[in-house]
Amino acid sequence: MSYLSKRVTAFSVANGLGRSRAEVEEALFKGETGLVPPPIALPFTTFIGAIPGELPELPPEIRGYHTRTSQIASLLVSGIEAELKRARERYAPHRIAVLLGTSTAGAEATESAYQHYIAEGALPEGYDVFRHHTYGAVLHVVRELSGANGPSFMVSTACTSSAKPLATASRLIDAGVIDAALVGGIDTLCQMTLMGFHSLDALSPEWAKPFSSERRGLNIGEGGALMLIERSGDALALLEGVGESSDAYHISAPHPEGLGAKLAMERALALAGVEPAEVDHINAHGTGTQLNDKAESRAIVELFGRDVPVISTKGYTGHTLGAAGATEAIFSIMTLLRGEIPPSLFASPLDPAVEARIVLENERSAPKRVLSNSFAFGGNNISVCLRSV
Amino acid sequence: MNGSFEAAIVGLGLHTAHHPALDSFLKDEPSAEPALPSGSALDKRTRRRASTLTRAMADAYAEALSAAQLDPETVATVFGSALGEASTMLSLLDQMFRTHEPVSPMRFVTSVHNTASGLVSISGKNRGFTTSIGADFDTPAMSILEALGVIHAHRTPAIICCAEEGAPEDLVPEEYHWALLAGAVALVHPEDAPASALRLRLAPMDEAIDPASLLEPAKVSAALAKSPVVGILDLIVRAAEGREGLVRLDRGKGRGFVAELRRGA
Repeated sequence: MSYLSKRVTAFSVANGLGRSRAEVEEALFKGETGLVPPPIALPFTTFIGAIPGELPELPPEIRGYHTRTSQIASLLVSGIEAELKRARERYAPHRIAVLLGTSTAGAEATESAYQHYIAEGALPEGYDVFRHHTYGAVLHVVRELSGANGPSFMVSTACTSSAKPLATASRLIDAGVIDAALVGGIDTLCQMTLMGFHSLDALSPEWAKPFSSERRGLNIGEGGALMLIERSGDALALLEGVGESSDAYHISAPHPEGLGAKLAMERALALAGVEPAEVDHINAHGTGTQLNDKAESRAIVELFGRDVPVISTKGYTGHTLGAAGATEAIFSIMTLLRGEIPPSLFASPLDPAVEARIVLENERSAPKRVLSNSFAFGGNNISVCLRSV
Repeated sequence: MNGSFEAAIVGLGLHTAHHPALDSFLKDEPSAEPALPSGSALDKRTRRRASTLTRAMADAYAEALSAAQLDPETVATVFGSALGEASTMLSLLDQMFRTHEPVSPMRFVTSVHNTASGLVSISGKNRGFTTSIGADFDTPAMSILEALGVIHAHRTPAIICCAEEGAPEDLVPEEYHWALLAGAVALVHPEDAPASALRLRLAPMDEAIDPASLLEPAKVSAALAKSPVVGILDLIVRAAEGREGLVRLDRGKGRGFVAELRRGA
């Protein structure tokens, strides 16, 4: 079967490139990186992406839910407030779902609370696991701020977390369960994530350089992205299909031949009802690790050949983990809206083993259809097919 | 919600600390000593990496899979948990801040919420759909919703598995100290099920319902009753009994979703 296309009617985004859609878009198409040295001392060298400036305080009625994750949620909701108001006038609140993704949820707050626990023998006053750590906390904050009161849950499938809700929203709209959904994801920086990826020898000591022969791993980035998906309405882009697959191979390493990645892309195309030749551009997962970039390039070339322009945006934002899927879907929509593909930052000199056509300079090729890939621990893969209106 | 947005129940599975399978729970035959989950759906290599939570999920999943006679290579799976691998996360924080050891890479990769989802798909050689979600006390209801969406979009069988390990006592206040619980329900599209199979539909609590049709929650220990996913146990017990009616999926602590059980035509 194929989906009926859903309409992306609004979006907001924040990450190391900026705090708003306009700031992020400007930096992306200027080819500027948002990656900087970490603000805290770490026992190794790396770069990170962090949302610049102060984040908004939560309103008094939900101030008890204060975490950086909830503050980012607040920033994102405020970025599409006008469109949300229109959606609330159009649909009953219980017909607007809140479907988000995260890999860290409140880990940043819990990490800090747990250090207090170790030092003092008790969690800090005011810490509440159900307001500061669990998925339900962020969902509550977004429902309160947005007025959406439909089904709501958090997908947590590591680095595919915020792309999978796009598939859920499509299915629930098709089934007539909802009319619209707030879809996206948020991940904050925490020491556990940085130390964990360091333990895997996966962090780059310099800027992440996806697809480059000089790539040495990934950078971790903070970020959030939110989209309003509707059954109908004035669209910025059409969500045509979302392909999901599993590698069934290894908990943390991708299938070396990109088997699961290829399956996800094939399924996205099948649901969209289009052929590979109809795809004009691919926003790759492109983490900058040796294994990922090689396997993904192989899968892309097998399915699309060597001509489709491919980029990774991890050199701009770092890997925003649970927020990456939604963030890069939004970058893909920006590409459709501008008719321009930004360069795959730091990809030069290209790795000769990467056979896909990596974009090194801005291309004004007016793409009409984009695939955005995300792959995760557990061998979880997703590919999102978006089309211009 | 849409009245035709339902599925048929074709298999059930359960693991608690004193009930290694559904049958022992239904017969009220608890083990004297806590039964550690074996992780029966996991291959030997994968099992070594699995936490108690993942093993319990794998056991409940395996029981439902077997009861439904579904194919592990193709069945869709939805794993739900409010806190997920919280104990693994706390052990990482201990390494970082208490014992100042290097972080274990294996613990790090198995600290993600979708560890069970990944390991079960690897062991089952399943390249199809799997996901991992959380929604606090609405986790059972939202897991059912996600599964119904997949079943109706792709006409595939699905197994939902909701689980919570024993509450991490360092993190969770005493009033929430719950016990290990994993429950699984195998679902298929109604048209692919025997006519006699119970139908499952999800409805929000504000939908007009007859209070008399609300089924009582299952009799469980105080520690199980506190679990954020106890609603899946209530559903499993009433479905195993073949009861018709409404089952609250959150015991009053979530947003009020209920499951409607009714016999097929």
